[in-house]
Amino acid sequence: MLAFITRRLLLLIFVLFGVSVLLFGILMTFSPERRAATYVTSPQQAKDIPKIIKQFGLDDPFYIQYFRWMKEVLKGNMGWSLVASRPVGEAFWNYFPVTLEMNLFAAPIVIIFGIWLGTLSGIHRDTWIDHTTRILAIVGWSLPTFLFALVLLMIFYGYFQLFSPGVLSDQLTMFIIDNPETFTRFTGMYTIDGILNGRFDITLNALAHLVLPVSTYVIVVVALNMRVMRSGMIEELSKDYVMTAQAKGADKKTIYIKHARRNALLPVVTVAGQLVALSMEGSIAVEVVYNRHGIGWWLAESAVQLDMPVLMCICLFMGVVFVITNLTLDILYAYIDPRIRLN
Amino acid sequence: MAKLLETVDLVTNFYTYEGVVKALNKVSLVVDHGSTFGLVGESGCGKSVTVRSIMRIVQEPGRIEGGKVIVYLDERDKQAGIDLLQQSETYMESLRGDRISMIFQEPNAALNPTLSIGDQVSESFLFHQKKEMCTKIYEDLCAPECQLFYPIKKIQQAVYGMASNNPYAVSLKIMNKVPILKRWQKRLKKEAKKRAIDIIDKLGIPNPAQVVEQYPHNLSGGMKQRIVIAIALACNPVLLIADEATSNLDVTIQAQILELLRRLKEEVISSILLITHDLGVVAETCDRVGVMYAGNLCEVADVKELFGNPLHPYTRALLDAVPKFSVEKELKSIEGNVPNLVTPPPGCRFHPRCPRVMGVCPQTFPEMKEVKKDHMVACYLY
Repeated sequence: MLAFITRRLLLLIFVLFGVSVLLFGILMTFSPERRAATYVTSPQQAKDIPKIIKQFGLDDPFYIQYFRWMKEVLKGNMGWSLVASRPVGEAFWNYFPVTLEMNLFAAPIVIIFGIWLGTLSGIHRDTWIDHTTRILAIVGWSLPTFLFALVLLMIFYGYFQLFSPGVLSDQLTMFIIDNPETFTRFTGMYTIDGILNGRFDITLNALAHLVLPVSTYVIVVVALNMRVMRSGMIEELSKDYVMTAQAKGADKKTIYIKHARRNALLPVVTVAGQLVALSMEGSIAVEVVYNRHGIGWWLAESAVQLDMPVLMCICLFMGVVFVITNLTLDILYAYIDPRIRLN
Repeated sequence: MAKLLETVDLVTNFYTYEGVVKALNKVSLVVDHGSTFGLVGESGCGKSVTVRSIMRIVQEPGRIEGGKVIVYLDERDKQAGIDLLQQSETYMESLRGDRISMIFQEPNAALNPTLSIGDQVSESFLFHQKKEMCTKIYEDLCAPECQLFYPIKKIQQAVYGMASNNPYAVSLKIMNKVPILKRWQKRLKKEAKKRAIDIIDKLGIPNPAQVVEQYPHNLSGGMKQRIVIAIALACNPVLLIADEATSNLDVTIQAQILELLRRLKEEVISSILLITHDLGVVAETCDRVGVMYAGNLCEVADVKELFGNPLHPYTRALLDAVPKFSVEKELKSIEGNVPNLVTPPPGCRFHPRCPRVMGVCPQTFPEMKEVKKDHMVACYLY
């Protein structure tokens, strides 16, 4: 087990190398002038562009620039983020908790809800329960996220003044900025920090801000999970071992839960794992529409402004997330299915 | 001999997108106490559907639409039959695996790949012998030699005392939902596993204690089939239905399994309903044989009578299609194909392929007639 994990983590180095070379290469297709222009704010400075190119070596060969970047990264310096106007490393830890907080609420709901709905409609195949869940799921899946988010925002915030966008209400944000000594930011996630600091009003306020983004994300994504669970359930229920269980005298509940569901879960684990990994970069549309300054929002802003160090950082981060997710998935597989052995 | 199982005009249809598949068309057969009944026929003739209808485990989109399945289980009153098609699902659950059990065709698929062998075998005991096991554990707990920390012993005694009165009591059901309290079942599961080891041992599997910890993929096909048989035999059934139990095994293992079934029939079970397409197996193991064609039973006779004096043209054709060492001629086959059961031929379903077809055959369906003593045939020739 330990050997397996170590081997997989060693693989991480190669993955990160590959990802960074690839992305660095893509970014190099922009001309040096283009990349230098990022640092220019006024027309007067435009004449400095050749100087900037010279100073930072932007017209050096690809591998020299890449190794220069890598040397700095290995020293722990990820660069300077223009969007956040602070070092990338520091900014990352500022934005990441916002995304993580949403995922902490959304991922369990997506997984549990998807498995539950999928099991339900798989068992009651071709009945009204099945049709209803399937239709709703497909509607959710095919809705464009940004549009759905806007509609929800319009209905709940626009008409009912409920669930305002953002991460925390302005008053509370000001309060935290003004009183850094009474409110310590342990995790950066207000729901958890609120409890740790004994400020439950902050927790509740942060939760209220999470309702819409989490619902949007869940409704859009749950369909995939549900469909996989449903088809898995239907497939498993038609297998011979289900009939053996029936012939043994097993009741329906035992057959569904003990026999079929465990086998049907395998593909769901794959899908759910990928969903969780993907959502770590933050659902861009959700974060932009609800004005939550998380990884997704940061990524969108940086891509528009060609904030190269940020793009590199987020890609490396996603590499790490995917390798670790796959590692976790493999361990989970071995736990669920005895036919799969690690090593 | 006294009857054990009787089906009367059993009709089962499958509602598929292509149309209604009339899989069983009034199948009536009788299995006696202590006999081995063989059901033979080509693939797709409705053998499996017959026994699944008897067990009421026909899969979707199949429906049992008529007839009776009567079992005579009462020891004292052999005439008192119960029509299984009229019983509740709960009654069927208590019957399946306890009094009537079944072995399936494909040992590789018949076991759940993610549950251990021990789990799967002991399930039978947990379904049908819960009360008995609880009583036994209660007695063990009350025995003076029971070495257990006093309060725990007291609690367990109380719980198992309750469970031995009624293992399905509401209070126990609630307890099973509570995370720590549901541990009371640990002893019960241990007892069930012990019984599982016993039954596996009885079937001649080496190292039963080790086998119960393993998973289906660790075992060979023959071993798996023995486990499937162990599951079926766990609660000493009166009737064992073997649905092509040996078809997918190689010949030596097949012989072992048949030998095992014969031995078990003498020792434990009363009757076997054996489904096969292998006439050799029938000749070797069965007392009585029924021949099926396209959802109909066309001939029923004692095994010697059937092989010596086949009456139905289909039975004859089937016997002619068996390779023999003494004959060196080209092997005969039956002309034509098995009919599509969505649109079966009118009248006798065999008439389009029958060498002795008459004018009446396509018009009405021939009834089963007792031509000789214990020899029934459904054909207008007799």
